[in-house]
Amino acid sequence: MSSKTATLTIGNVLRSDIRGFVVASRIPEPDVPTFGTFVRAPIQQGNAHLIGLVYDIRLQDDPFLRDLAVSAAESDPDFAEVIRDQREVRAVPVEISVVAVGYTRGDEIAYGLPPQPPMILHRIQVCSKEEARRITAKPDFLRPLLDNRDAPVDELVVRVLQRAAPLHSTSSTTREDYLLQASRYLARFLAREPLRLETILRQLA
Amino acid sequence: MSAPGYNGAMLRLERLRQDIQELSRRVIERQRRNAAELKTIRRWFDAAPAAHVIREQVTSAQRTDRVAQPVTDAPVGAQFTSNPSPPPNTVVIGVDGSQIPPDHHATVLYYVLQVGGLIFHYNGEAPFPHTETRLYFEEADLYDAEGLLITTQLGMRRTVAELEFLADLVESERRRTPDTPILALTDGPLLWPYRPGDEANRSRDAYLAVFDRLQAAGGILAGFVERPGGRYVVEMARVSQAAGDMASAYDGIEAPGHLDDQALMAEMLAPGARSPWFARLSETNDIQARRGHEIRFCYLNVGETGYPVVARIDAPSWVVEDAGTISLLHAALQHQTRVLHGNPYVLARAHELALVTSQDKALLESVLHRALMEQGIVARPSEKARQKAYLSRRR
Repeated sequence: MSSKTATLTIGNVLRSDIRGFVVASRIPEPDVPTFGTFVRAPIQQGNAHLIGLVYDIRLQDDPFLRDLAVSAAESDPDFAEVIRDQREVRAVPVEISVVAVGYTRGDEIAYGLPPQPPMILHRIQVCSKEEARRITAKPDFLRPLLDNRDAPVDELVVRVLQRAAPLHSTSSTTREDYLLQASRYLARFLAREPLRLETILRQLA
Repeated sequence: MSAPGYNGAMLRLERLRQDIQELSRRVIERQRRNAAELKTIRRWFDAAPAAHVIREQVTSAQRTDRVAQPVTDAPVGAQFTSNPSPPPNTVVIGVDGSQIPPDHHATVLYYVLQVGGLIFHYNGEAPFPHTETRLYFEEADLYDAEGLLITTQLGMRRTVAELEFLADLVESERRRTPDTPILALTDGPLLWPYRPGDEANRSRDAYLAVFDRLQAAGGILAGFVERPGGRYVVEMARVSQAAGDMASAYDGIEAPGHLDDQALMAEMLAPGARSPWFARLSETNDIQARRGHEIRFCYLNVGETGYPVVARIDAPSWVVEDAGTISLLHAALQHQTRVLHGNPYVLARAHELALVTSQDKALLESVLHRALMEQGIVARPSEKARQKAYLSRRR
């Protein structure tokens, strides 16, 4: 997969292990990626890219915000420009947690844990729609997710499938076809956890 | 926390206990003396002659550079209020700067200047942030005329760069809004702060040339000095008590030993109020005056009832001479400091935009290292720098 696709850079790796990483970011609120967004990080000296899913977003406070928080009121005209600055312009300190689902080397995608976590201070980028479509073309990306015990996996699976389904809607296949294929994969993988499977499938329905 | 067996140095607070107690005792003692001196100085203010008389007294006093001279005819103890906010559509621009100084122990020798600014419109819209970063690496940038690595020169260059950036922003804003008042705010004094010397004089000339640009663009230039040092107004009050031959009479009046202007103004100014404008008769201010940019100052209480926060406001004479401009400046500073409890919002944001963090520096070092590696050059920081980086991780 090409890493040259022009997408949003969200920050630098703060800490990482083989199952995922945390990104320190200072980006305006509208650019903060949402729960279930695919991101990529360079690994192995940039020869490969780890693919992961955002599963937690923590907005950090700082002395600046603490100072404002005690006095700023949304309806007070004294703070109109200040509140807009904080929301729309100011770099909000954010920690974004990502769970690894696979990695790419050239045009090939491998699902599962990467050979190496991303190194500290490497730049992380949001995947383009085309990249997300290619990653989710096979349901195998769900396997490393379902094995993960750190992230809210079931909600993440639902969210990522709901976002991926429209990307696979073509003249010959529908959104429902994609979800049906993914549900069959989940049914096989979670055969021994029927209650968990039912919870996920109900949310997908 | 140190690792087991780690024997590195750290701050041993228990060994400082006696010193901490002594320091606390001194602070309490200083406050007690301040209170006593305050009574004396308040009495001097009550008995002070008219401002024009004090102006003459200061001119003939010794060490005039340490004495504030009233520049208007308002009573020296007067205080002035303003509207709580400036008129709609007023623009306030704040700038600040930061740097990575040249370091012999770094991967390669360079320095970085980064300036940040925020353009704040009073129109309900979000402000506009701006940042400019420059990397300097030429020998002529890094070494002085004697071949020594620059030190204080970096501060001078940063001071000029900040003001140039401010002028750029004011000029671009002026092109957009020809008739709008534009307040141009810096974080710190406006009087050129460096001792004369070849580079200092060149930088000062460049600095004052930017004043010309700001004046031409119709910018309302002001410097915001939080926690100002100095005892200029206290000294003026002392001078005002002299009679007859000023110089000799002045010497006969005991100088308050502890109270400074900040403590005096915290007592004298109501929240939101400012003092009259003063000037310092220093050599540097004379030079600035000859270029048309004499600096004047007043004190402003940007705190709240029971919690005074005194700032010094520096402004060139061409700002201070217009009553409407002063009112606008006063009102804008009131609002800017009110939203952030004593610190102007635009300056706090400009500082944030300009700040080069240790993480930024590490990233730049890493990129430089990689760029050199790609060219087949193995460069790395000194062993001392590597050790320091290791030790700093304990923090």
